[in-house]
Amino acid sequence: MLRKLIYLTLIGASSNSLDSAEVDFAHEVVPLMKKHCIECHGGGKSKGGFSMNTRALVLDGDVLELGKPEKSLLMELLLTDDEDERMPPIKKQKHPLAKKEIDVFRRWIASGLPWEEGVTFAKVRYEPPLKPRKVKLPQGVVGAAAVDYFVGKTMRKQKTAMPPLADDAVFLRRLYLDVTGLPPHENARKLLAQGKLDRAAAVDRVLSNDRAYAEHWMVFWNDLLRNEFAGTGFIDGGRQQVTGWLYGSLLENKPYDVFVRELISPVKGSSGFMKGIKWRGSVNASQTQEIQFSQNVSQVFLGINMKCASCHDSFVNQWSLKDAYSLAAITADEPLEMFRCDKPTGEIADAAWIYPELGQIDPNLPRDKRLAQLAELMTHPENGRMQRTIVNRLWRQLIGRGIVHPMETMNAEPWSEELLDFLANTLVEKDYDLKAVMRVILNSDVYRMQMEQVKQDVAGKKFRGPVRRRLTAEQFLDAIRSTTGVWPEPDGEAFRKKGAKGGQLNAVMLAHGMQEWDARPLRASFTKRGLLQAALGRPNREQVVTSRPELITTLEAMNLANGDNLALILRQGAAALIKQHAIRDKLIRHVYAVALTREPSAKEWSIARSLAGNDRSADGVEDFLWMVFMLPEFNYVN
Amino acid sequence: MSNQWYDESRPGLTRRHFLEKLTAAGAATLLGGAPRLVASEKMGQPEATADACILLWMGGGMAAPETFDPKHYEPFNVGTPVEKIISTFPAIDTAVDDIKIAQGLENIASVMDRATLIRSHYQADLGHILHSRHQYHWHTGYVPPQTVAAPHIGAWMAKVLGARNEVMPPFINIGQRLEGHGESEELKAFTTGGFFGSEYGPMNLPYPEKASQAVKPPKGMSADRFAKRYKALQEALKHSPQGEGISDYHQESMLRSIDKAHRLLGSKERAAFDLTLEKKECYDRYNTGRFGRGCLLARRLVEAGARFVEVTTEYVPFQNWDTHENGHTTVQKLHQQIDVPIAQLVKDLEERGMLDRTLVIVASEFSRDMIMEGVPGSKAKDQSRAKTTVIKEMKHYGLHRHFTGGSSVLTFGGGMKKGALYGATADERPCLVTKDPVSIEDMHATMFTAMGVNPTTAYEIEGRPFYATKDGQGKAVKGVFA
Repeated sequence: MLRKLIYLTLIGASSNSLDSAEVDFAHEVVPLMKKHCIECHGGGKSKGGFSMNTRALVLDGDVLELGKPEKSLLMELLLTDDEDERMPPIKKQKHPLAKKEIDVFRRWIASGLPWEEGVTFAKVRYEPPLKPRKVKLPQGVVGAAAVDYFVGKTMRKQKTAMPPLADDAVFLRRLYLDVTGLPPHENARKLLAQGKLDRAAAVDRVLSNDRAYAEHWMVFWNDLLRNEFAGTGFIDGGRQQVTGWLYGSLLENKPYDVFVRELISPVKGSSGFMKGIKWRGSVNASQTQEIQFSQNVSQVFLGINMKCASCHDSFVNQWSLKDAYSLAAITADEPLEMFRCDKPTGEIADAAWIYPELGQIDPNLPRDKRLAQLAELMTHPENGRMQRTIVNRLWRQLIGRGIVHPMETMNAEPWSEELLDFLANTLVEKDYDLKAVMRVILNSDVYRMQMEQVKQDVAGKKFRGPVRRRLTAEQFLDAIRSTTGVWPEPDGEAFRKKGAKGGQLNAVMLAHGMQEWDARPLRASFTKRGLLQAALGRPNREQVVTSRPELITTLEAMNLANGDNLALILRQGAAALIKQHAIRDKLIRHVYAVALTREPSAKEWSIARSLAGNDRSADGVEDFLWMVFMLPEFNYVN
Repeated sequence: MSNQWYDESRPGLTRRHFLEKLTAAGAATLLGGAPRLVASEKMGQPEATADACILLWMGGGMAAPETFDPKHYEPFNVGTPVEKIISTFPAIDTAVDDIKIAQGLENIASVMDRATLIRSHYQADLGHILHSRHQYHWHTGYVPPQTVAAPHIGAWMAKVLGARNEVMPPFINIGQRLEGHGESEELKAFTTGGFFGSEYGPMNLPYPEKASQAVKPPKGMSADRFAKRYKALQEALKHSPQGEGISDYHQESMLRSIDKAHRLLGSKERAAFDLTLEKKECYDRYNTGRFGRGCLLARRLVEAGARFVEVTTEYVPFQNWDTHENGHTTVQKLHQQIDVPIAQLVKDLEERGMLDRTLVIVASEFSRDMIMEGVPGSKAKDQSRAKTTVIKEMKHYGLHRHFTGGSSVLTFGGGMKKGALYGATADERPCLVTKDPVSIEDMHATMFTAMGVNPTTAYEIEGRPFYATKDGQGKAVKGVFA
């Protein structure tokens, strides 16, 4: 009966569909869907919670019964005279869909919703370029101005208003915390107070403070390279630090291509990264040191998630088990058998590089030579992926959110391809000088924009301004210690070496013309993780970490409110400040100046004095310090 | 029981219906950029049959045939073909005539007359068994990956219902270490408030015996001084020249956290975190291990006003319920860990007159089977570490494959029936659900409904509605309500 009905309604339809109720999905249905449905129910849109991107999604929508158009809500919605109900929702026309068109949908449902494999209305995944690309700039626009040019272009396209620029005090605190991890230096604050701050000179000054820069960026690189002073693996030599090598490299501002080459094809002191962690006992096949190498080299240098592919062909990207193992095989001493989900496949992986368009590894060479080949391929001038990955990370550190975001999906579309390409090209033009790239960003107006008022942590495709970033556990402690002047004593494996006076770090410092470590301050980046830093988000560095949590949870807040560690730091700090400042007002002024780069307001003066002003004991000063250090203004780069 | 609203099938996805939702959303705009409530305003929230929920999580895949759904028992004998084995524990009687459970759970058996035992829970086939993915699914109602961070069901309750006692953290998570093992990052991914923000996320107390440290004021600080210091901070915030910047969600969230911390630290409720205040004989009864102590802590926290408490036997790859080999021996130990504390928790709640308003749920991400991985027809790969066709040694004896086709959920109190059995699985392999199947969505809808949260409650995030149960489709299981 139904069949007959459909047959009758088909009179006047195209001849090739006259023969049956069959429908030609690609030629009949797809054009109609594109014309009437996809705008609201396809791509990124799913109005009413209904998407037609795939057959499964159409079925999930519960709007039809297969084979039974007469019982399907979808047909009802197409046919109804009720304008509020009717689809597509165009009020004026009586029936926005022609009878013939409605009939196509009827046949489509009747014949069981045929779909062609692979057809999706979901947005086509972005294909990132591998090689560097030239960018077009108006004549005379270079450096920081180019950053502003591309960001301005994006914001105009987005129709987003340009945020106003922050004042110099805000700029200065940002600059120091971002580059050195410390609050602005006294000299800079003096210039600021005198209205004589030259921003470009300030940028040059922070970047030339090699030691402060290195000691701050240790945190970023330690997280990325899984470098710790204690933890899993150290006890039986299953893990090695790269601390000395890293510190020296940052002090020298080692060109990034050399830096990467030395991590892949190790020199003295840099092998800890590529060797990874040898866990005691048996591990899953996807956690062997060779596979760790494959995962970490791809994640850190290329922003590729190889973790899925080290067990089976990835569901989330294009990488296969073979890719993961080929990369792993480069560092394997013996033929490397592939395991699929922890089960041997009997197949041996050949050492190979994942972007053959740049060159290839000779699997017959000895291991050291293969690693050297990989180091060359990774830093090949045509490997734009590696360049884009690092400049994107730098942008994230200085602006708060990546041009590609999140950091781990360098396959995703950047909000400005041109900006990403420009910064990558800058890196190469400046001979892989990371500080030179930072200088370009730091001197831009974009860097000085007021922070975006973020409402959610959404991985947005848009740029609306820099994003407020939380001080790392290390920055938080260093900022407190800068304020109080009380720094911890050297401690930990980094400084020790059996039978020797100094450890790895002391050796590096002597080699760079510094005194041994008794010269303070000892930054938190060189102390062990400890409970307080752990509570404030310093990771255990068994996994690569590219960005830390941005929010402070109740439990963290409780640590700040009642933790013994912070309490001790405040007590010692209060005692030291009382010694330095006989007059409490001076003490209060000093704390505001260092911690917040400003003077207290009149009201703040009175609050501060009520706590710290007239107390003979140190308790009041301790509580005053706590109050300042709990302010969001203190806890974020604003 | 006034939960008639779910007697009506959900209206179809018509445009009008959606427009109605949008109108409701317009009226319900919240402050501060929080996700907007978009649905359920009109439908209303059901009348709660429970005020608090304790989820006892058997992390790693609790085998139903070895616990609450015993089948044909085959003792350990070298040479036994593995396909003969469905259960490795004999069945024992319980306080309810027609309910039998596995040997080793005698104490739980004795309180079965307070329970509703659901034997027809089942999970989605995700193609490949990955505990963290299945646990993500069970804890959020959504299969990862998701384009937005899905909130934990505890976070939903925290968000929609708030705290029972505003001093207490509404959502407390006991026993799971989130650092230091292979899948901890994946566990962190669902142990979170998700897009609701960290405010609604869990207070994590991995070690129950150390919980009190988390709520003590600093050493040597008087309550007065502690309060004065905090008051000064509030004043300073009010007068901060950057005051206008406070609307940023980073900062706002920080302030809420500090506020919550202080309310708790200054409260009498913090005594609830201190297990040393418990009578010794009571402590000793619960003290079968971290899980047992966690049950005791959960009881104390719920007594003090917590809304949602999860206690886990702890998921660590290849440990506890994650038996890839030596299943029988391991489960024997797990029985010892859970039997007394679960029964004692039920009795304690009852004695305090709280059981009727406290929903206790014992659940796991899936069940296990001797030979079947996933469900019949699944592409899931065999992950057993004790592969054999006949039993040769003790290591081979146990349920070493992950089975998603039928598992048990044990519930007590909170408006559920007493001494009832719901659903069934086949007696022979594959032990699939044969009667009254309960999906994760429906299980959640049941829990939400008991707690007074409409399963179609939705918040708008990134321009689309996100529902308490997947697409608002979860339906409470009427048959389990008293």
